[in-house]
Amino acid sequence: MRVLVTAEAFDPQAEVAAFSAGRDDAGALVSFVGTCRAKTGDVAIEELRIDHYPGFSEKEIARLAEETALRFDCPDLLVVHRVGVIRPGEAIVLVAALSTHRANAFKAVETLMDYLKTDAPLWKKESGPQGARWIEPRAEDHARRAKAEEGL
Amino acid sequence: MIHLVFLGKFGDVAPAGLGAIALPAGVRNLSDLQHWLAQREPLLGQAMAATRTRLIVNQCVAHDLSQAIADGDEIAFLPPMSGG
Repeated sequence: MRVLVTAEAFDPQAEVAAFSAGRDDAGALVSFVGTCRAKTGDVAIEELRIDHYPGFSEKEIARLAEETALRFDCPDLLVVHRVGVIRPGEAIVLVAALSTHRANAFKAVETLMDYLKTDAPLWKKESGPQGARWIEPRAEDHARRAKAEEGL
Repeated sequence: MIHLVFLGKFGDVAPAGLGAIALPAGVRNLSDLQHWLAQREPLLGQAMAATRTRLIVNQCVAHDLSQAIADGDEIAFLPPMSGG
């Protein structure tokens, strides 16, 4: 299990390659990368700032990842999450799962992303020409989280 | 001294200087502390009252506002999270 919360830009492909190198214990590798959009609807985004609570954020994300790995029988999971100032086009989050078969690897990645949206101690602020605003989970995020809890 | 951490939008309205304070007189638990903060910093009090606020004491989630506060504690105030 690798959980990294970092203020540095990262290369998702390089992270996935390092994570999966030499692993012959899993027949499936699924990864998801979330990137910073240049627009939300019609509103331009110049930068995204993500706050975290050092120590606690890492601990909670590791807990969510461990729960997900156990539930979907994944021998290994990878989470990399940016904090600090992020520009459009840069990667915000990477989640990757190794599993014996693809179904569990897909489910693990989707479930962990749903958990991260509502339960990871991170706070996003979008800034653009029209000002800045803090993002809170949408009803859709809570609904997806509830569905993930039930078992997809 | 107690150490206070304000995350996300709470950090925007919390004045500098609240990071480390002497344990205020009469403040014995988390509920007392929230009331004290709301009286001293109305903007912060309003921001916390307007949303779901979670409290973390020494990096552990507080489930009960009657939880006692001791000198040296670090107490964090968390608005709703938005990772991913």
